[in-house]
Amino acid sequence: MTRSAILVVLTIAAATLAFWAVLHQISSLWLDVALRPEVREALARSMEDQKKLRSLDPEKREEYRRRFDATRRLLNRIEVIRMNRAAMLRRFELTLLVAFALVAVLAAMSLSIRYRRARERERRLYLERVTTLQETARRHAHEIKGPLTAARLEAERIADAHIRQSVTEELDRLARFTREFSTFGGLGKPVLRRESLGQMIDEFCTTFAQAWPGLDVIPSVAREPGGVSRQASASQPRPRRSLADARDDIVCVDRDLFRQVLVNLCTNSAHANATRVTFAIVHGALDVTDDGAGVPESLRARIFDPYVTTGRGMGLGLAISRKVLLEHGGDLRLVESSAAGTTFRITFGEPTCS
Amino acid sequence: MVTRASLFALIVAVAALAHAQPRPSFTVQPGGVVAATLPASVLQDPGVRRQLGSGLTTTFLVVARLRETDSLSGARVEIRYDLWDEVWLVRRIEFDRREDRQRIASRDALEKWWRAPLRLLSTSRERVSLQIDLSVLPFSAAEEEDARQWISKSGGVGTGGAGNAGFVEALIGTTISARPITTFRWNVALSLKEP
Repeated sequence: MTRSAILVVLTIAAATLAFWAVLHQISSLWLDVALRPEVREALARSMEDQKKLRSLDPEKREEYRRRFDATRRLLNRIEVIRMNRAAMLRRFELTLLVAFALVAVLAAMSLSIRYRRARERERRLYLERVTTLQETARRHAHEIKGPLTAARLEAERIADAHIRQSVTEELDRLARFTREFSTFGGLGKPVLRRESLGQMIDEFCTTFAQAWPGLDVIPSVAREPGGVSRQASASQPRPRRSLADARDDIVCVDRDLFRQVLVNLCTNSAHANATRVTFAIVHGALDVTDDGAGVPESLRARIFDPYVTTGRGMGLGLAISRKVLLEHGGDLRLVESSAAGTTFRITFGEPTCS
Repeated sequence: MVTRASLFALIVAVAALAHAQPRPSFTVQPGGVVAATLPASVLQDPGVRRQLGSGLTTTFLVVARLRETDSLSGARVEIRYDLWDEVWLVRRIEFDRREDRQRIASRDALEKWWRAPLRLLSTSRERVSLQIDLSVLPFSAAEEEDARQWISKSGGVGTGGAGNAGFVEALIGTTISARPITTFRWNVALSLKEP
């Protein structure tokens, strides 16, 4: 059971308990008003009075008898109810309590369904948008590649070395952009396989240990309550650690595409001058945390939109990464970001690879 | 010298005597009819005594279980004190639906009437082993139904829609019931063979 499900259950239980507390006060109140001893005493006195009146006014004896009987019936009913008071209250409260709990559960289910539908709609729209941009990028890259090659050949013939170098640098920059467009446009569909998340992270950290100068990529073993992973402080040595204990966390991923996502995140961290990226498996999700400069607040809401960038790169890395994970049935979310660092959370789809 | 064991035995015996319930006496009538004379102490029980003066119909339900065949039989006694005429209105319905109604003027006469044998069952066996259960119910089925109707009307039968009324009926209808204010159980073995 996920944490949010536990939270919903606890909330419903608390609401039901609060409802019962109020209900108990109210339901015993209305019943006790009807069963007050003064009421019964007054009725008993009234019956005594009718009996006295029959001897004082014998002509109206029958009328007094009728009144007496009516009062007696009323008193009898009250007495019967008084004897059943506890059982009636119990049944009444239980019925309303069950009804309330049912309504609360239905409301929670309805909210949950609406939330899932909204998430699904947002996911679909995002994928549609990114797919359209992908197609555009692919065409642009294709259209640029031919003229770019020709321009390179022409540039070689420029006599002035200074101008030639300047033109060549610009063409190189254009080639880099074209490659990025091409990569973005040529992103394939994931081929899902069951993989050990811990093992993949261990391998990634080993393979890419030296990929970004000045950036340590380390698995964070400790899983603390609340999902916050313990990280080595700057003054402490940074031992290579292993997520061996998490190797039972099986996920369905396309190994190559998933690695691309991790590369993108680490590249962003390197651009943000981070010295360390840690990976922590928290409740089946993967938290990727760096100690870089953080994402500017103005960009956080649209950080996954294509071409949104902090200044370095094309602003396609996170868009690609999120698209890849959405196509995995999971997602990529920005959990938190400040001047002390940034945490992204990667979630995965069902581990059945269906 | 009183030993500890004998002192303990004495305490147990006193406690047993204190808890011993007066038993009904049984007679065998012609035709293998077993009749019971219920102990007068039942009427003197504080709870029963209080209930008898309430104006409601106190119902004494006697159920006899024949252990040999596990068959059930029984009888019912209803007592209501009429507060207007200040008489006891009593009714006795025996196992064969024979009914006896009376107006009794005094408590002494009531206890005398109470001591009359109550016919519980008829059997052709020579020996029977019986379990007798006496439940004292605080009101009759008619009074229960009357209170149920009354509170149901208060709950909306008269003013609300059918759904509302149905809900209250279902809620209250199954809740109001005459739970015994006290119960008694006796086990007895009888020989029905004529000497």
